[in-house]
Amino acid sequence: MIEYDEVERRMVLKLVYYGPALSGKTTNLLRLHDFLETEGRGDLMVLDTKDDRTIFFDLLPFFLEAPSGLKIKVKVYTVPGQVRHDATRKAVLQRADGVAFIADSQLAESTNNFGSFDNLEKNLSLVGLDIDEMPLVIQFNKRDLHEIIPEADIKRVWSPTGIALFMASALEGWGVAETFGGLLGRTYDRVDKRFSLSREHGLDRQTFLEKLTRRAGEAVTGKRLR
Amino acid sequence: MDKEHRSGNFSYVVGAEKGLRDLLAGAETMPLLEGAVEAGVLSAAITDSKGGVVWSAGCPGEKTYAETAPISVEGELVGRIMVTVGTEAEVGSYLKGLLHILSVATNMIIRANLKRVLTTETHATVVNRSYEELVETNRRLTVSEGKYRELAATLEKKVEERTGELKRAQEGMLRREKMASIGQLAAGLAHEINNPMGYVSSNIRTLKKYVWRMGTIMDFYRSLIEGPAVHDAIRRQAREKWKELKLDVVSGDMNDLIDQCLDGSDRVRKIVSDLQAFAHVEDGTEVPVNINREIDRTLDVISHQVPEGTEVVREYSPLPAFTCNPALICQVFLNIILNSLQSGSEKPRIFLTTSCEDDLIAVSISDNGNGIPADIRNRIFDPFFTTKEVGKGTGMGLSVVYEIVTAYGGTIEVKSEPGEGATFLLKLPAGRRPNVKVF
Repeated sequence: MIEYDEVERRMVLKLVYYGPALSGKTTNLLRLHDFLETEGRGDLMVLDTKDDRTIFFDLLPFFLEAPSGLKIKVKVYTVPGQVRHDATRKAVLQRADGVAFIADSQLAESTNNFGSFDNLEKNLSLVGLDIDEMPLVIQFNKRDLHEIIPEADIKRVWSPTGIALFMASALEGWGVAETFGGLLGRTYDRVDKRFSLSREHGLDRQTFLEKLTRRAGEAVTGKRLR
Repeated sequence: MDKEHRSGNFSYVVGAEKGLRDLLAGAETMPLLEGAVEAGVLSAAITDSKGGVVWSAGCPGEKTYAETAPISVEGELVGRIMVTVGTEAEVGSYLKGLLHILSVATNMIIRANLKRVLTTETHATVVNRSYEELVETNRRLTVSEGKYRELAATLEKKVEERTGELKRAQEGMLRREKMASIGQLAAGLAHEINNPMGYVSSNIRTLKKYVWRMGTIMDFYRSLIEGPAVHDAIRRQAREKWKELKLDVVSGDMNDLIDQCLDGSDRVRKIVSDLQAFAHVEDGTEVPVNINREIDRTLDVISHQVPEGTEVVREYSPLPAFTCNPALICQVFLNIILNSLQSGSEKPRIFLTTSCEDDLIAVSISDNGNGIPADIRNRIFDPFFTTKEVGKGTGMGLSVVYEIVTAYGGTIEVKSEPGEGATFLLKLPAGRRPNVKVF
């Protein structure tokens, strides 16, 4: 569902942070906003929240230009996690080009994680997207807490699905950029396959990732699990 | 690349790309630009990403000094703010400061507008979708309410219908039970009567032969006595004895008596055979038959009993095969047709039709007789019920018909108006196996 305008030489990629309520989707975006260089990065737009709960969505936009002159805008959205805001989730998920599922590592939240993942599958199919084709990563957030699912258990459950897994603590700030990088890489691969970013536009994977995940000060080295 | 992408014409529910003109309005920017001119610059303007002027205030002179600041939407440069002054001396902290104020204010307006647009879009989308869902829910509820209303309205009627069905089923069951007990009785009676009747009837026939022989020899003796070789005194004595014993009457009456005995025993045999047919509906082998052909066969069998001048009209439709004992089904038609022939019409007319719908074979047999009075119409299928004179009918004909038809899972109805004949309507299910349950 990549939006590509050949005349204007513009491409818009839509990435969505999905997950159960209070799993830390907005915190992920806040951290990215803090970490990453301001050049080419728009401001984080946090739409009206009530008691720190997202009811619309958050938006963190990025902008870059390929050597060919192709303008690429990457818009990273969060969805409201609460069950009651399903209509908003569907609206935001429409035409998504990649999804990061932010799960809550706390033991008590397992059911909510599965419920939200089911909801993701259902809504993707409702808006006409195929989850098997969708660039998808899963982040287990809140690894700084105590009562959490052991990493080994997570791997045992999720590894067979082939979906990339990331451990993170958005609150402490680690694992966030890696998750984002993982999602960007998968999204790049899909876009490259279809629009030959590397061959026709001179934008290789490495450059794409570096431009979007350049930290103020240091380069991101993705520590990926699996 | 498909057409959709080539045209670049994308529709987003939420978050469609917004340009400079979507997010800034003249009413918002002009006061800022005019304020800058009032503050002392020659001109202030906002240009788009290609350098074209969108809004401007003041008038740049021949020789001016310009400074610009970027305007961005979501990190992308979408235009610039440009202010000009007339002297190089003014290009200092004064111009930079003014430009900074304009830049911060413009970008802030853009961010606020973008936020408002996104919020409104989401809100509108969610409200629309919720409304559509509510409308759909309402539609489903209306349909379901309609169903319940209809159900409530027809409930009474349905209960009445079911009650009627139950009542009819119960009556049928009672009737079958009655028939079953009568059938057992009949079967026992038939067996007990058959044995003595066998030799009674056979002996009477033999007796008739013997009586004929005796009569013959008597006639021979009488002719001898009346002849010339016999003495007058003997002839007189013989005549007196003949007279005394009333042998004139006896010889005339004897044959009638014996014939009546034979008639009587034949009738007893017939009653017994009817009783047996009644009691043994299940007997015999069942084969698929064509009902039309069975009716024809029945008519052939009774051809000698059909009065001269009787009109028989047949209107047959092609029928599926019906599995039954042919003798029994012929018995059904025989009994009904014989009844029709005796229905009292001067110019008898029998009207036979067959048809089939949904594997249900319908046979209708009508006559133009006197009809069946309403008060006895529901008794005609009862065993031993007859309207004929005592000794003329057995009262078994139509009850045998009823038992056979119901044994094959069929139904029989009679319609009649006094003086306008009677119609027997039989319905036989061709599809399913006969529901034989009799005796």
